[in-house]
Amino acid sequence: MTNQKKLIIIDDDPDYVAGIKSILERADYSVQVAHNPKEGFQLLQSQPFDLLLLDIMMGRGAEGVAVARKIRKDPNLRNIPILIITGIREQIAFLFPGQPVHPHFVELDELVEKPIEPKLLLEKVSNLLRLSEEKKEV
Amino acid sequence: MAVEYPFSKVIGDMMYASHQNPITDCLQCGTCSGTCPAIEYMDFSPRKIIGMIRANLKEDVLSSNTYWSCASCYHCTVRCPAGIDIAEMMYALKRYSMWKSQFKEGLIGPDFSESFVKMIVNSGRSYEPILAATYLPKYSASAIVQEALTASGLVFSGKMNLFPKKIKRIKNLQNVVRRILPLGETS
Amino acid sequence: MKQYAYYPGCSLESLGKSYHLSTLEVAARLGIEFKELEDWNCCGATAYFPVDELLAYTLSARNLAIAEKTGLKDFVAPCSACFKNAYTTNKYLNSDPDLAEHINYALEEDNLHVAGTMQVRHLIEVFVEDIGLDAIKEKVTYPLNNLKVAPYYGCQLVRPRKGNENVENPRYFEELLSALGAEPIEFESKTRCCGGSLIVTNRAAALDMVEKLLQDAVNSHAQIIATTCPMCTVNLEVYQSQVNREFHTNYSIPIVYFTQLMGTSFGCTPKRLGINKEIIPRALEKSQVEAV
Repeated sequence: MTNQKKLIIIDDDPDYVAGIKSILERADYSVQVAHNPKEGFQLLQSQPFDLLLLDIMMGRGAEGVAVARKIRKDPNLRNIPILIITGIREQIAFLFPGQPVHPHFVELDELVEKPIEPKLLLEKVSNLLRLSEEKKEV
Repeated sequence: MAVEYPFSKVIGDMMYASHQNPITDCLQCGTCSGTCPAIEYMDFSPRKIIGMIRANLKEDVLSSNTYWSCASCYHCTVRCPAGIDIAEMMYALKRYSMWKSQFKEGLIGPDFSESFVKMIVNSGRSYEPILAATYLPKYSASAIVQEALTASGLVFSGKMNLFPKKIKRIKNLQNVVRRILPLGETS
Repeated sequence: MKQYAYYPGCSLESLGKSYHLSTLEVAARLGIEFKELEDWNCCGATAYFPVDELLAYTLSARNLAIAEKTGLKDFVAPCSACFKNAYTTNKYLNSDPDLAEHINYALEEDNLHVAGTMQVRHLIEVFVEDIGLDAIKEKVTYPLNNLKVAPYYGCQLVRPRKGNENVENPRYFEELLSALGAEPIEFESKTRCCGGSLIVTNRAAALDMVEKLLQDAVNSHAQIIATTCPMCTVNLEVYQSQVNREFHTNYSIPIVYFTQLMGTSFGCTPKRLGINKEIIPRALEKSQVEAV
């Protein structure tokens, strides 16, 4: 299929990634994986992708945030929709209980929490892809 | 087919900024274990933990108390003939276990780290951690009494203030933190 | 008068108050000035790294940025954990441009910028390297004759390795003690860990480590243990009685900061060195009387 959408996952948990990857592949997406932010950024630069699924807590800390910033500053990559998939609320919870995620920390498109229902994941992915197509047309 | 990505790489990735730690270069010589001052209190010695990481025994590694028993004295690090920064590796394991909420039941370490971070983000300063009672209520009553007695003794002897001071620009500091880790609004 | 950017760290505001007092007193005697950083924050100690290493670097970077603004060259920390955190942060700021960029983006919120240009030093290095043993010796008016001192370096003053220094058998602490007229003992355990924050998270392990240190010091005929870190002092001093209960021992060995020994040999009054604030009381005065 020529219009098969290409997704990239950057996440440091191989078991978790394997799970999401198979869900997405069964829905006929092409999926590539990077297990750390550095390889992920290199992969993003090497070929075009339609959507990024990004983890937050990786490496030394919230490196997902650092990578998202880097992507938004890169003229070739800045338009890629980013879906954050994270267990980060666990982190936030112990710091400031009951408070929502700060909305302006980085330009991302959508945030879902782990663990995620396959149906919801696919819904979010197709929504973001559709929105991004519409943006391109405008 | 799931992509095979060994646990040694997962943990190695967490240390890349410090050094490209070649966990897989471990000779299993046991210098780290012979050096470690906390070894008697660990489920598995540092040498064994490295062996287990290489054998991809992720669950067994994460459910052990070994890395939470590390005092970060860096003695193993400076002695390792293969140049592995073992103390940093223990930190990487602590982080990974916190993020995945996967650690041995009954350990104080994860709770302590959480309370400590909370304290810093709220005031900009840390209070003598040994006596910070925030993490204690979950543990034995005698421990609390013991700490309280020690603490009041120290307060009366003039060695300790009752409360930590807040830094002046705490709001700014919280915003600095928020740019690194997207937190909610503080109260 | 040479000036240094001085980062006391949280412990020196509470349990380590006597370290703070004696440091400033000794510095004044030696003709140097420690200018305390304005509005400094906690360095993250050892407990921040298990949660988020990037944030831990950011905390130290804020202090370094504040220090850089003073225009001074050296960032001096008396606490070994603060020293290690500031040192490694400074090193990574220089070797990892992505890290530096990300941290500076965050520091904008406090109108700060860090360049990584400070020289991060531990207090004892400043005395030994910058002032020098000869100049210190000149200030000694009450030499600590015959006082047998265990020089306890602890961990994070010497490790992780910073250059080509001798991490297995450093000697500068012994040399400093000799310059004060004291007699440094050969202390095998001088760089063994005191347990650090395990005193909270794994009390049994930490007490065991403290006991081994006390035992070695006593077996080596030390009358006193001198430290370079408030955390080491807390573990060795505050928990000495608990060690005695757990191990059925009767250690009663005074723990002092090396700066208190310096001050004593310079003839500073005990009060100005915070000596009355010790948990194991009158120890230094007692040994001083014996020494004189």
